Amino acid sequence: MKVNRWTLARRVVQLTVIGLLFTPCLGWGLFQGNLQSASLLGLKFSDPLAALQVLLLTGTVALPLLGGALLVLGGYGLLGGKTFCGWVCPVGLTTDLLECLPSTRRLRVWPLRGKLIALLVVLLLSLTLKIPAFETISPIGILSRALSFGPSSALLLMAVILLVEVLLVRRFWCRSLCPLGGFYSLVGRVSPLRIGYRVEACTHCDRCRRSCFVYEVLDAPLVEGTSHVVSGECTRCGACLDACPTGALNMRFQHPLK
Amino acid sequence: MSEERGRAVTNGVRATLAGAAAGYLLLRSGSGYAWLLRPPGAVEEQEFLRKCIRCGRCAQACPYRAVEMGRLDAGIALGTPVIRARKNPCRLCADLPCVKACPSGALDPQLQDAAKTRIGTAVLVERQECLSLKGLRCEVCYRACPLLDKAITIENYLNARTGRHAIFEPVVHKEYCTGCGICEQACVLERPAIVVGPLQPPSESLYEG
Repeated sequence: MKVNRWTLARRVVQLTVIGLLFTPCLGWGLFQGNLQSASLLGLKFSDPLAALQVLLLTGTVALPLLGGALLVLGGYGLLGGKTFCGWVCPVGLTTDLLECLPSTRRLRVWPLRGKLIALLVVLLLSLTLKIPAFETISPIGILSRALSFGPSSALLLMAVILLVEVLLVRRFWCRSLCPLGGFYSLVGRVSPLRIGYRVEACTHCDRCRRSCFVYEVLDAPLVEGTSHVVSGECTRCGACLDACPTGALNMRFQHPLK
Repeated sequence: MSEERGRAVTNGVRATLAGAAAGYLLLRSGSGYAWLLRPPGAVEEQEFLRKCIRCGRCAQACPYRAVEMGRLDAGIALGTPVIRARKNPCRLCADLPCVKACPSGALDPQLQDAAKTRIGTAVLVERQECLSLKGLRCEVCYRACPLLDKAITIENYLNARTGRHAIFEPVVHKEYCTGCGICEQACVLERPAIVVGPLQPPSESLYEG
């Protein structure tokens, strides 16, 4: 039996993140914080989009927040931007697992660029409300706070998203609405970690596209014949690598703009 | 662009705008509390709302679990740290772990001395209910106060009702009171007679009338 190595590795990382979000309840010092700001083994991480909103609102960013944000931005810049969505985000894991329901595959989809509009709207909303708007209403923040502090009424928002994804639009949050995903898709455009493609090994069986929830990104290599996936929308989740029967796809570092 | 794709884009824009409008109304309308007691070092409230990234680090750092995260009924303060003094007040830890944990400066790292905390101030709001003011020897708030004889003192004077006893009135001194809320938790009444309120009460607008 073929083992889906990438998916297995990804589940391990995703579950580790969820486990880490739990540990502060147990009183362990290893990890503190959540996906907005955290310290792991003394290293401080912060969400760059949160820092950006604070910068817009106050004109300055406190040094710990700035340092943590630059660290995360650099990390995801190197590792693919939306790697966050595919490997770290607990909302991503939840909606990813929901796709095990075969009925969700038959739902319609919305275009990917909705996220960029949402990103813009959230930044404007921050300026009008004078709060970091996405940090307040983000289902990622709400879910990770629920993991660290126990469930709250705000989880209703999460429930609405899951309902829409099961009944109406496939992966609508992660594909088309998440402002943080939109932000990281911009980062992913310049990232050197890419899904590479060898046309000579490809049988055009289309299994990679069927395994991918942002399958549009595979059009560049499959249709236009580029040597790798170009789009920043790729989460580097590796589902296509697992699906490919001939090894025509691989994960590699390369010059991002070539 | 095909017609179907065009429709999908329109739908996406509509959904984003609907979501934004819903978020806006929810957060605008819903500040469920008139005033929120923040952790030590909190900057002025409007500034706090701008700076706090809702990460919960302060709440995780609090050894007494006194810092809660604002829930949906907190409206615009959803996800921000709140202390409910009657339930679980701030204990003014000498090393201020919450302030140290804050990455964004919403809790001002310049606060080094817990006694200099000014997150609010205690007020004897229910004077007619306060047992001490009724002439009984309660003074529980005075005893509970971590700044004993500074933030709350006992002033005694003749009980005018009996003409022969003393009243031992707990008096809050704003210049020392940190707003920790330990007195509010300690008050023996069902509804506390002494509660923590904002440093600057909104009374100025009342005077302008």
